[in-house]
Amino acid sequence: MALLETRNLSKSFGGLQAIDKVSLKVEPNTVHGLIGPNGSGKSTFFNLLTGVYQPDEGSQISFNGIDITSSPAHTIAELGLARTFQLLRLYGELSVLDNVMVGYHPHTKYGPLAPLINGAEVRRQDKAVREEMEELLEFIGLAEHAEIPAAELSGGQRRLLALGRAIAMRPKMLLLDEPGAGLSPVNVDNLMSTIMTLKKRYNLTIIVVEHILKVVMSTCDTISVLDHGQKISEGTPEFVKGDSAVVEAYLGREMADEDIRAAMDA
Amino acid sequence: MVFLSRIADLIDALASRHRLLPWLIAYLMLLPLPFIMSTFFNSYLIDLANRSCLFILLAVGLNIVKGFCGQVTVGHIGLYAIGAVTSAVLSLEPGGFGGALGFGLPVWVSIPIAVLVTAFAGLIVGLPSVRLEGAYLALATLGLGESVRIFIAVTPALGSSTGLMMIPAPSIGSFVFDSFTSYYYLVMTAALVGIYFSFSILRSATGRAFQAIREDTIAASVNGINVIKYKLLAFVLSAIYAGLAGALFAHMPPGYLHHNNFTVIEMVTLLLMVVLGGIGNVWGGVIGAIVVTIAYDQTKDLVVYFMDRPIVIQPLVFGLSMVLLVLFMPRGIGGWFEGVLRNRRFIKRSEEKLGGTARNS
Ligand SMILES: Nc1ncnc2c1ncn2[C@@H]1O[C@H](COP(=O)(O)OP(=O)(O)OP(=O)(O)O)[C@@H](O)[C@H]1O
Ligand SMILES: [Mg+2]
Repeated sequence: MALLETRNLSKSFGGLQAIDKVSLKVEPNTVHGLIGPNGSGKSTFFNLLTGVYQPDEGSQISFNGIDITSSPAHTIAELGLARTFQLLRLYGELSVLDNVMVGYHPHTKYGPLAPLINGAEVRRQDKAVREEMEELLEFIGLAEHAEIPAAELSGGQRRLLALGRAIAMRPKMLLLDEPGAGLSPVNVDNLMSTIMTLKKRYNLTIIVVEHILKVVMSTCDTISVLDHGQKISEGTPEFVKGDSAVVEAYLGREMADEDIRAAMDA
Repeated sequence: MVFLSRIADLIDALASRHRLLPWLIAYLMLLPLPFIMSTFFNSYLIDLANRSCLFILLAVGLNIVKGFCGQVTVGHIGLYAIGAVTSAVLSLEPGGFGGALGFGLPVWVSIPIAVLVTAFAGLIVGLPSVRLEGAYLALATLGLGESVRIFIAVTPALGSSTGLMMIPAPSIGSFVFDSFTSYYYLVMTAALVGIYFSFSILRSATGRAFQAIREDTIAASVNGINVIKYKLLAFVLSAIYAGLAGALFAHMPPGYLHHNNFTVIEMVTLLLMVVLGGIGNVWGGVIGAIVVTIAYDQTKDLVVYFMDRPIVIQPLVFGLSMVLLVLFMPRGIGGWFEGVLRNRRFIKRSEEKLGGTARNS
C-alpha cells in the first residue's frame, strides 16, 4: 500500500491554478523526486500535504491509510508527516537545541499544564529528550553549536538544523523542499549523503524537491514532474530523462534534444 | 558588569547544590526588607514595595503572552480590574455603601474564585488572537480592556464613581494582614512564586511551544503544535497572574478600589515595565516592574506650568520613554544582561578548551 496518496489534488489562488488535479502515490521506503520549473507548484504541493494550505473541493489526500484532506497542520504532523521549508523558517531566537526540541513536540508525554502541577516529572522527561536531541545534533554535526541562537548559524548549518528539526519529529515521511539550495556542489553532495544515512537510520520515506537535476537523478527511485500545476510525467529517472514532455516543459519546444540531455547531465 | 557576572556565577553554584537553593536565599534576603525600610527610611516605602510586587505579578504574567508567545495584548489591565473587583465584591458584606454588591465570602475563598473568573475572561480576551495579529489584535484587546473599566465606572453595584470601600483584609486565625508590613509578606511571596512558575513554564514543552509560535507560527503548526490551543493557553495563564494581582490589590490596605486604577495610563505603565525589562525576559520584567513603579511614584506629582495652568506631564514622560526605549534599546535591560551572560559563557568555554589543549600538548 502506498504511504501517501493524492487524488485530484487541486489548489487555486484567485484565477491562478497553482496545483491542478494532481494524483500521485509514494511507496514506503522510497525516495520520490518532485521537479519542475520555477512556479510550477512544488512548494504549494508540500503546503497542501502538510495542512499549511487547505485543498480545493474534490481533492483527496491520504497518509498511512488515513484521510488527511482537511486535517489541520498539527494533526498531520502528529501522524508522522514532517517537512522542511524552502525558506527554512527556523526559530531564529531559540537555541539550536531548542529548535530540535520543538521538533520533538508531538511526542511530549506530559500535558501543557504539567509545568505548574508536576515540575519534577517535566524535568525528568525533558532531560531524557534533551539527551536524545543532543545525540541527534551530534549526528548531523551541530552539537558544538547547541547553545547558540539558530539565527547565528551559517547558511549550511541552518539547512542542517532545518533537517534536524524535521527528523526530531520522528516522522514516517519527510518532505524536503530544496534542501541544498544555496549550497556549493560539494556541500550538496555531503547533504544528500547525510539525508540518505538518515533515511536508513530512521526508516524514512522521502519526497524531495530539488533543482539540481543530477542530484535528483542519482538519489530518487521515482520522479514526478510538475508544470503549471499539472503532473506532466512520472517514472524512473531514466524514463523521465527521456520523456519529451519534460524536456519541453523545461526548455521550450524549440530546443534540440541533445542540448537538454547535456543540461540534465551537467 | 563583572559584579553581575559574579552574582550569576554564585547563583549557578548554589543551584548546582539544590535547584531551589537560590530561591530560598532570595526569599530569606527579602524577609527583613520592611524593617530596613521603616527603620532607615520611612514606612511609605513598604507600600511602594507592595505595589511593586503586584506589578511584578502583572509584568511576569504579561510576559507569558507577549514575551513568550508573541501575542500583542493591551487588555491586561482590564483583567487586573476583573480580578480586583470580583474578589472585592465577593468578600464585601451585603448591603454596603452606595449600593455596592456584597456576598460576604471569606477572602481566602473570594481570591481563588476571582482568579478563576479572570482566567475565563483571559480566554475571551485571547479569542481575537485566533484571527487577528499585530495592531489589529492590540486594538481588539484594548477595546475589551477599556470596556471592563467603563463597565465598572458606570455600575453602582461595582463601585462606579465612588469606588468600593472597606474591602476586608485577609487573615489567618486572629492574625490580620491589614498593615503594609504584614501585607508585604503576602504579596512578596506571591510575586516570588509567580516568578518561579513562569520559569517552570518557560523551561518546558509548553514554553517552547509558546516561543515557537512567536518565532514562526506556520513552522510551529507543522511541528505539531496546536497553535490556537497554545495561544489561548498563554492568554489564560497570563490572566491567572493578572487575576491574582488584582485580587491581592483589592484587599491591600486601605481596602479601597476605584476604576481610575485601571486606565490606559496604567496599561502603558505596565507595557513600559515589560519593554524596559526586555520583552520575553522574566528577570527583565521583574526589574522593569520595580524601576517603573518607583519612577511612577516619583513623577506622579510632576507638574509644569504653562500660562499659569498646571499640566501633569507624567503620561507624556512615560509615553516618551516608551518610544525612546523601543527605538534605542529594543531588547531592554534583560536583553543587554543576556548578552553579558552569553559572552561570559563563551569566554568560559574557550578557556576550558584552551586549557584542554594546553594539557594535551
Ligand atoms: N499563498 C499564495 N498566494 C497566491 N499565490 C501563490 C501562493 N503560494 C503560491 N502561489 C503561486 O502559486 C504558483 C506556484 O508556486 P510554488 O511556490 O508552489 O512554486 P514552486 O514550484 O515551488 O517554485 P520554485 O521552484 O520557485 O520554488 C506560483 O505562481 C505562486 O506565485
Ligand atoms: Mg518552491
